[in-house]
Formats: sequence, structure tokens, C-alpha cells
Amino acid sequence: MRNSLAKFLQAIKLPGLSFLMAFTLTGLIIAISDAKVIAKFSTPLEFIKSALAAIGNAYLALFQGAVYDVNLTKGHTFIHGFYPLSETIVIATPLILTGLSVALAFKAGLFNIGAQGQFIFGAIGASYVGFHFHLPIGIHILVAALVGAFFAAIWGGIVGLLKARTGAHEVILTIMMNYIASYFILWILKTQSFLRPGRIDPIAPEVNQSARLPLLAGANFRLNFGIFIALAAAVFVWWLLTKTTIGFKFRAVGANGQAAKTAGISVPFVITSTMMICGALAGLGGAVQVLGSTYSLNTDIAGSFGFDAITVALLGRAQPLGTVFAALLFGALHAGGRTMQSSTGVPLDIVLVTQALVVLFIAAPAFVRYIFRIKKLNASASLTSKGWNG
Amino acid sequence: MKKSLKLMAVVASLTLITGVAVAPASQAAKIKLCLALDTGGVDDHSFNAGAWAGAQASTVSNAEYLPAATSADFAPNIKKFVDKGCELIVGVGYAISPEIVKSAKANPKIKYAVVDDAGQDCDANYNCTAVANVKGLTFKTDEAAFMAGYLSAGMTKTGKIATYGGIGYPTVTIFMDGFARGAAYYNKQKGTSVKVLGWDPANPKAGTMVGSFSDQNKALTISKAFEQQGADIILPVGGVLGAPYAAASEKSKKSLTIWVDTDGYYSLSAGKSILLTTIVKEIGASIKSVAADVAAKKFSGKAYVGTLVNKGVSIAPFHDLNAKVPAKLKSEILKIKLGIIAGTIKVDA
Repeated sequence: MRNSLAKFLQAIKLPGLSFLMAFTLTGLIIAISDAKVIAKFSTPLEFIKSALAAIGNAYLALFQGAVYDVNLTKGHTFIHGFYPLSETIVIATPLILTGLSVALAFKAGLFNIGAQGQFIFGAIGASYVGFHFHLPIGIHILVAALVGAFFAAIWGGIVGLLKARTGAHEVILTIMMNYIASYFILWILKTQSFLRPGRIDPIAPEVNQSARLPLLAGANFRLNFGIFIALAAAVFVWWLLTKTTIGFKFRAVGANGQAAKTAGISVPFVITSTMMICGALAGLGGAVQVLGSTYSLNTDIAGSFGFDAITVALLGRAQPLGTVFAALLFGALHAGGRTMQSSTGVPLDIVLVTQALVVLFIAAPAFVRYIFRIKKLNASASLTSKGWNG
Repeated sequence: MKKSLKLMAVVASLTLITGVAVAPASQAAKIKLCLALDTGGVDDHSFNAGAWAGAQASTVSNAEYLPAATSADFAPNIKKFVDKGCELIVGVGYAISPEIVKSAKANPKIKYAVVDDAGQDCDANYNCTAVANVKGLTFKTDEAAFMAGYLSAGMTKTGKIATYGGIGYPTVTIFMDGFARGAAYYNKQKGTSVKVLGWDPANPKAGTMVGSFSDQNKALTISKAFEQQGADIILPVGGVLGAPYAAASEKSKKSLTIWVDTDGYYSLSAGKSILLTTIVKEIGASIKSVAADVAAKKFSGKAYVGTLVNKGVSIAPFHDLNAKVPAKLKSEILKIKLGIIAGTIKVDA
């Protein structure tokens, strides 16, 4: 028990410190971009006081927007105060799935930048089944989600196959496939079968009631069943990687493709199947977003879920559990940023700065180690992907 | 930088607003006015900026806004405002309308307005009914765009003018319709054959669209492609989209630009010298007037439609290019304006 706690602390040390540093720097930016704070520059004591107040207020608002806000309980039960937490989870849900997609690829030594495109195909598949067919409750959700995941698995699988057959680099392939996907959705939303009646702009009809993921906490909350799908996917990825032969093969190829090949593992098979599963995971993210939260497909359905996924997977050290926590943290930043903007006027965009700083520090572990005088961990524990963080 | 732009936007809208009748401000306590913006950001120098400037200019309200990164932010942004106790929630943009209507039905005591849509409750088959606490703020933009199209047809040296949109919302294509028809009207009057690239009202599916209101690179590429095809006046309809193009064209001098929503002369940071005119939509003034109504407890769900008559739409002065526009063309445009107002010139056919 004690040993595993120590291991856990060891694992979150670098990401945790990276986050801390990102928050510290963001705080500085919040302070110096506040005109009221700068006005007090001539009196150092007042200046520091107002700077700290500005940072404190901003982060308090961030917390209120992401976890619990006592102001929301007026006229409601105390449970209503947790509305922000439910928003955090809603935003985190697709991010967990796309994050897992990138994390799993890391484990097999692949860098999947294509979660964005895979997400789009998942959303397209789920949306079409959702609004076009009338099926019984339960079955409808299942079919819609599976079709979405299947579309995305094919989309991801193409990359795997191309890499396995021709040796083309998956980073280039996935970036290009993202472009194709984002233009594909522009086109398909203009086709007759996806146009919403009465509208000429690119937005699909809402999915039928029977295809919507059940809400978990009543109509006032957007919290839906999708979070369980995301958590189940995390368990699945953990199980796949640690308890199955195929998962072992994934990790073996990730650790050393040449050695794995010599040991009789089919590297092309591993690459293709990894990319298919990665695609399915990201596609499930798109399906969950459409069936659980937006209910309809539009051109910006993917937002930045696919790209944030890379940060999330890095922050989560490419571990399923870590990815879940990292996605929740990002969800919290996004949900909290809204309140920070509306309560304190600190722009929502500052959250992007924090996210970028996190990536920066995580990608430069030596720098973080240097700042905090940490000895280098043993190399095998910190492997996420070749050329990344190794 | 951002601050100065915001300031400029305020100045711009203040000058515009002076022409518009606004209900007298009441002395009552200030109302809480909350703007749920469209994607594109508050500093789009155009659509969102105009709305926010109008909200800030309202003396009867304390205004705040929330930007949207994607359309998935619309619903939570509105919910945030409901939780904060906003008295008037304004959805800025056609795309946000369904979420505004949903929220309005759930919170009948709060007043809502939506820019660029009637704000009606529509079912899956698009049968729509009005909602009592939602006021739609729409604009007959094609009236002003018609004038701009005529102007462009009269100004072009290559015989080619062009337009493209952000996303094919009706509120975007209405600019392009008016623009193309105005140019066609010029051709009919003068026996010329000025061509409009990027938009044909008879075939909207083939129209040129960027696909978003934020992809400025793609917008710049489209503009340059039009320039290469010989267009020397380009109208980008999509807020901030056209800004890099305006800046680039100011250097290359390859084409003049027409801005939309708020007078680009005051809101653009680069491109003033090649700004022919702006198809102005008084979004800010309309929001200001709704705020005044709510403060005076005179709010009604009756739709507001901005036209040339009530000065809800107009074309801006020619500013730096004023001397380049022939006096004859100016008087023709004035005649067209009167014709549209009188109904003798039809802009939608």
C-alpha cells in the first residue's frame, strides 16, 4: 500500500509540478494585464496587494466555475452548487476518449495527431444514425455510438495501414487526414440528407430522443451517461494494455519495434490495429459529444477536442487513469474559464495560455527537474513515446 | 492593442448610433445586460464588436459578455447568464438562436433578444411559433448591400467584382444576394456586363464560403484567388475573416474592399485606404434600444426589422476614397436608395 502510494506520487510529480508552474506564470500574466493593478505600480506594497487580489479573484472564479459555487444554491438545494462540476465532467467526457486515443498510440510508439479527424467521423456516424433512424431506446444509442466508432476506426485504420505498408510517417498522415476530415464535414453538411429542414446553413437535424444519452441529474444539468462510456473506455484501455497478449504486443512494438519483430510480433498488424482502436476511441468521443451534449452535427463539432487530446495524453503520462484525471483538469479549466471571464473580466483565452504552458513544461521535463532540483527518474518509467519525453 | 480596438469600436458605434431613434432612457436602476457572443471573438471588428459596443453604450444597463470558441459553448454561456441573474440576455448571431429560445422557454421571467434571427420556437419540421419573451432583431441587409453592389459595379475597372461568406447562414447570404443583385441592376441600367464572382443568387449552393468565421488564412487565400481572377472589389461577409485580406490588399493595391456590419474605417487596424464602403448593420443600436425597453419595462416580443427607412441598415461614407467616387455615381446611388425605400426598386428579385 505504502509502496503504491509512493509510486503514485512519483508518477504525478512532474505533471503536477508542470501544472503548478503553468498556474504561477498564468497568475503573473493575469496580474500584469490588469489595468487596475498596473495603475498602482508606483507604490510597491499596494501593487503587490492588488496583484495578489487580482490573481486570487481570478482563481477563485475559476474554482467556482469548475467545481462548486455556493451562489448557485440560492433558491435551490445545495446540489445545485455542484452544477459547475457537472459542466467540468461534460466537457471532459469527449476529452477523456480522445485523450485515450492519443495515449494508446503513444504506448505502441505511435504519435496519433489524428484524433481530431477521427472525432469528426465518429460524430458524423453517430449523428446520421441518430436522426435518420427510429430504433428502440437503448439499442438506438448503442447502434449510433458503434457506427460512429466504426467510421472512425476505419479512418484511423487507413493511417495504420498506410504506415504499415509504405512506411509513411503517421504524424504527417494524421495531420493530412485531419484536413480531409474537416473539409469532408463541411461538404457532407451541405448534402441533402444532412440538411436540417428549413435551414440552408450547415447544421444537421437534432438526433431523435431515443438516441440521446440519458441525463444523470435532471434537466437542469447537462451531465449525461457519456461519462460512464468514457470511464469504461479507460478501463478497457488499461485492461487491453496490461492483461492481454495483444496489449503486450502493442507495448513491445512501442518499446522497440526491431526487437518485437525479431521476437516474432507482426509489426504491421500491431500498427494497423492500434490505429483502428485509437480511431474507435476518438470516434466514440465524437459520438458521445453528439448524442450526449450537442445533439446535432455542425461544422465546429470537434472544437479542439482532438488537439487538446495530445496535451491531455502527455499530461496523463499516456496512462489510462492519468488521462482521465488530465481530461478532468482540462474540463475544469474550460468550465472555470467561463466564470472567470464573466465574474472578473479575465479573458477566457488565458486558459489557453495555461494549457500551452503545461505542454511546454511537460515537453521539457529536464527544465522542470532543474527548477525543482529533482533527480532524473529511471528512464523506462517515463517512456511515453519515441522521441517524446523519453 | 485590443483595448484600443475596443475603444475604436465604441467610437464607431457611437457615431453610428446618433442617427437612430432610441427609446428615452429611464431613471430606474441599471439592468443587467448579458451578451452571449457568436464564435469569432469580441474583437472581430465587426459583428460581435458591434453588438458589444452597443451594449456598452447603453446607459441603462451594466453589460457583460461571454465569447464562444465553438457552438458547443452557446448553451453553457446562456445558462451561466441565467444563473448570474441577468435581466436581458442577448444572443448575438443566427446560430445561437435555438439555444436562446430553449432558455427563454425555461425562464419566462427573463427577457431575451437574438440578433439576426426571429427567435422563434421551431419544431423538427420547421413549424415555428413566436415566444413571448424573445425579441428577434433582424435586418434587411440586402437593401444596403444592393447599393454597395451598384456602387461596386460602377467603380470596377476590370469588370469583375467578388464576394464570399463565412458560413452560408441566411444572414450572410442576404449580403451577397443584395450585392449581386445591385450589380445586376447596374448592368441592366447601363448595358454593361460586370461579373460577380463567388455568388449567384440563383445558385446558392455553388457560392464561395470559408466554412467558419475564424479561418482567416483560408479567407485570405480566397481573396487572393479572386484577385487573380481579375476582381478588383471584394466583399468578404464574415466579421473578422476579411481583416488580413484588407491589410494585404492595402499593400498590394490589387483590390478595394467592402466591410460589413460596423464601419470598417473605425474598426479596421489596416486597410482603411482601400476601404470603399461598409454595409452597416446597426446591431449595437438595436441592442441598446432593447435594453432601454427592458429598463423602462416596455419590453415586447415584437420583432425589430432594420431597414433603410428606420436606418437599421445603411452604407457608410466612402472616407478616404470619397474623391475617387464620381459625383454622378453618388447621385445614382442616392436615387436607388430612395427607390428602394419607395418600393419602386425591388432588391429581392
